Amino acid sequence: MSMETPTGLYQFPVTKLCMVSTVAVAFAASVANCKYIFLARYDPFISEYRQYSRYLLFQLGCVNETDVALIVLLWYQFRNLERFMGSYKYISVLFVALIYTTVSLAGLNLLLNILLPGKIWNSLCTGSLPLILAMFHFYKEYTPQIYEFDILLTQPWSKSINKKQRKWKLNDQFLVNGLVVMLLLNQGFAGIGCGFISWICGIFLDKGLFPGVDRWRLPFIKKLLVTDGNSNPSTEALDGSSQDEDRDRSTDADAGAAHENESFPVDDEAGNDEPARPLGVQFLDTFRR
Amino acid sequence: MEIDGNTLIFIIIVLFLFFSSPGGDGVSSQYEFNQLQELRTQWNVEYKSFQGMNYNENFQNITGLKLAYQDIIDDESVNATYPLPSKDYSHWSQDQKYAILPDEVISQVKNNVWTQENADKPDLFPPNITGTLRGHIELVSNDKYSKLPMPIQRFYDPPSEFSDVSPHLGDRYLGDEWPPFSELHNVTFDNGELSVQVSHVDRVYDRLKGNQQTYFNSQTDRWKFLNLRLDFSDKTEHEKHSLLTDAVYDVQHGRILAMTQSAKFHSLFAFPHYMNLENAIESEDTFNSLKKLINEYWNASNFVDTLTMNDLQDWYDSAVYKCEYVAFIQLEPWNEYTPDQLKMIDDELNWPLGRPANLSSVPLINLQSGLLYSPDCGIQLKFNNIKGKRYEIQMRSIRAHLLFGIGLFVTQIYLLLCQMHHTNTPSSVSKLSFYSLSMINLVDGSLATLYFIAASILPELYLPLVISSFACFILASIFETRYLILVYASQFNERNVGLLTLLRRSNNDNNDGTNTEAANTVIPDEASISGTLYGRFFFMLISFTLLTLSSTSWPRKIRMIFEYVTIFVLNSYWLPQIFRNAIKGTLPRRSRLRSEALGIQRQNKMPLLWKFIIGTTIIRTLPVVYVFTYSSNVFRHHKDVRFVVVLCLYLLFQIAVLYSQDILGSRWFLPKLAIPEGYSYHKPMSAQELMEHGSSVDHTVDCAICMSEVPVYVEDVPETHKVDLQTYMTTPCGHVFHTQCLENWMSYKLQCPVCRSPLPPL
Repeated sequence: MSMETPTGLYQFPVTKLCMVSTVAVAFAASVANCKYIFLARYDPFISEYRQYSRYLLFQLGCVNETDVALIVLLWYQFRNLERFMGSYKYISVLFVALIYTTVSLAGLNLLLNILLPGKIWNSLCTGSLPLILAMFHFYKEYTPQIYEFDILLTQPWSKSINKKQRKWKLNDQFLVNGLVVMLLLNQGFAGIGCGFISWICGIFLDKGLFPGVDRWRLPFIKKLLVTDGNSNPSTEALDGSSQDEDRDRSTDADAGAAHENESFPVDDEAGNDEPARPLGVQFLDTFRR
Repeated sequence: MEIDGNTLIFIIIVLFLFFSSPGGDGVSSQYEFNQLQELRTQWNVEYKSFQGMNYNENFQNITGLKLAYQDIIDDESVNATYPLPSKDYSHWSQDQKYAILPDEVISQVKNNVWTQENADKPDLFPPNITGTLRGHIELVSNDKYSKLPMPIQRFYDPPSEFSDVSPHLGDRYLGDEWPPFSELHNVTFDNGELSVQVSHVDRVYDRLKGNQQTYFNSQTDRWKFLNLRLDFSDKTEHEKHSLLTDAVYDVQHGRILAMTQSAKFHSLFAFPHYMNLENAIESEDTFNSLKKLINEYWNASNFVDTLTMNDLQDWYDSAVYKCEYVAFIQLEPWNEYTPDQLKMIDDELNWPLGRPANLSSVPLINLQSGLLYSPDCGIQLKFNNIKGKRYEIQMRSIRAHLLFGIGLFVTQIYLLLCQMHHTNTPSSVSKLSFYSLSMINLVDGSLATLYFIAASILPELYLPLVISSFACFILASIFETRYLILVYASQFNERNVGLLTLLRRSNNDNNDGTNTEAANTVIPDEASISGTLYGRFFFMLISFTLLTLSSTSWPRKIRMIFEYVTIFVLNSYWLPQIFRNAIKGTLPRRSRLRSEALGIQRQNKMPLLWKFIIGTTIIRTLPVVYVFTYSSNVFRHHKDVRFVVVLCLYLLFQIAVLYSQDILGSRWFLPKLAIPEGYSYHKPMSAQELMEHGSSVDHTVDCAICMSEVPVYVEDVPETHKVDLQTYMTTPCGHVFHTQCLENWMSYKLQCPVCRSPLPPL
């Protein structure tokens, strides 16, 4: 088992889907000039215009370009959750988390505004910040820390030995932590509040208070995500080593089942020794030569 | 590069010339400086006179307003000087004794144009009427009213010689010097088309080259300051008039008063009096309120200090070449809305947030009635049925169209990729017509350029336009050009070969000269082909785009002929392919299917996918159909259903011919006699030929591809006559291969594997 998650998105279909759709939705909304449908505020949209659909939409697209960049980076960092759970379980958990965070945020927002006087909490965040925060709990819970390092904040080897050495301890996950903090701060109080609630949602999901993580799976799409090994041995062989480890690593029953009947990677001698030239490469070759 | 002193001085001089352009006000000589000073003094004096005026006083020394209509009736030769001895400056009333308009026009404005206020339920008018409105204009009279003399101050004239320093004094009348052709100062058509471009002026710059605009209007619920651009012409567009006017919009009554401004008519000061043409008694409140608006505009824009040479020259030009016009316009009320709803619609259009404003049902801005009168040319015109969408709503609908267009481009890219995948061998690519693809490519490329140009003109639609342009550019310059390069390369050995030879699919056997020439043809590599083709592509693209752009300003008739011919020619994109099919000659579908069933793998499929043909045709025809049949299309193109039907039939005809070529074989329409026998790869050999190939005892040759023996049919040797002719192939250069070996090879290259001479494609 290698310590590092393999780079790139090869065989991370759900992560790829999340990253691409985050960018694509924001881009499409921007081109069609309808970014505003992702804004959710109690006043005026709910209280005055009764546009309850905004409670369903606010997580699906980002309004702010910085959020898009941060969320895409975080999805990439979270890809070892997909490796850990398997694609099928991962997308199911994402779906469940999306529903729980949406329901709890929208419900709390509605309740607070109806019950309490004054507008304490008017606007919800935009973009999939709640989903990210819920998954952030899973990430912290299930990703082992590999190394840590200190940053000395005072001058080392100073003459006064008694002076206490101040240092800042960081570990290999500081990038994710930093990104999450930036994401939270980027939307101000709405971001921090919604982020906190969704993080709690993530904990509840993990502990089983919100059911669904262990049993429930998204229907109909199992075939797309769970590949049986025989279908395309040559392509899988390319990434054989990581597959190998994946098999040992798989804790989840479904993901394990997915890999059980997979053949061991075969040597690729028999295949075409000329590398495949996909269409894109062919086009680019026109300009290279 | 070494820079010596001379070069340095030269560079400094060039830079000096570059950067020593006139300053902010455009003054480049002492004469112009004096001109501008004169202009400023003139405006200042008039502003002071305007300041002293109250609602019951006549205009005094204000350019263009010194005479009233009655003055010219009384004495035709009267000069516009101030003060006129017999004129009453201390009163004002709304009749031709004081105003520049004849009584008849004034009463028409009062009774027919401006609607009277409904006392119990006041009408509601949209507060923001930005947009382009279109309709018809009708000439009421161009000879009935006397022409009011409007002199131009002579300081406007350009210097007569270089040494001139101070501009001339006094003024001059244009009456005698006006150019002889009548359209300039007259309207000669009875019915024409009018477009009114309305834009709001809420903010103004307060200094030259300033970057900060200030809001000036403190009575936005009552008055709006507008800029109106009126363009009208007759139907054939022989006579065009274009006016730029300042206007004041009375939001409460839905009235617009627009007046042109030039060196002979300072209309800015006329708004308070002429907006008041309603009741018999002038309303003091209206007058003062409008005077306040003009003052605010004057002060916020720093009117006198921000005058430039440009203004001076524009005013001079429009004074000389155009008539002055006054337009009275009445808007149709939007009574179906409450003020709150109007505000919401306005907010939503300015700053979309998804308010429940129901923008799809917002009515058009409709000019109920309008009157255009020219005091100095005596022309009266009437507006008819002028309406248009709010600018933002128009932009929304254009955006939706653009998004649909992007979808079309993406589909086209997908279809092209399928097609490229279908023809992935040189043999099959060589069956495609280079010109068919070039036509398609030319249209896509020009669309990309047009979109790109439009993106810089319409900042609101920058993003969708750039995406469209990008999608189109990818399609045209990467995918299609790449495909063109392939086609060009595969057809290169057909150059310098006659049509008949092509039909015969071979180089002439008995003519050794052509044979060697063809053998020596050097097929250039893809890089040099792509260089040539890209050069040609961009040249065609730019010239076609420029032609298209310039054609929009041609007179209507020529423009329409050009448009129809271009559309027709560019929609004949399947004709070259039909021609190409006939040259290459594919078998009828039934015999192709039969040979497939027999397991003989032959390269004789139709070159174009039906998916590609149908899809491309639909994608390319849809926009034309939309533009020509949907009368309120966003391009404001006229409706012509007949042309579209003809065009569709023409396209259907092309597709039908292609289909018949698929079913019946691509040469069915050629008489048998016209088709010479093509080169046949399957032919018996003579014993002598076989000897040259160093044949073995059992009359076999070594296939240079698979290195195993090929049994050959030899005419002179009866025992070889069992050999099936279809099992081997003889090239024109006399080399022998297995059928399967050579056909496989020929799908990569049309060159003989042994001697590299070109091979006729299968």
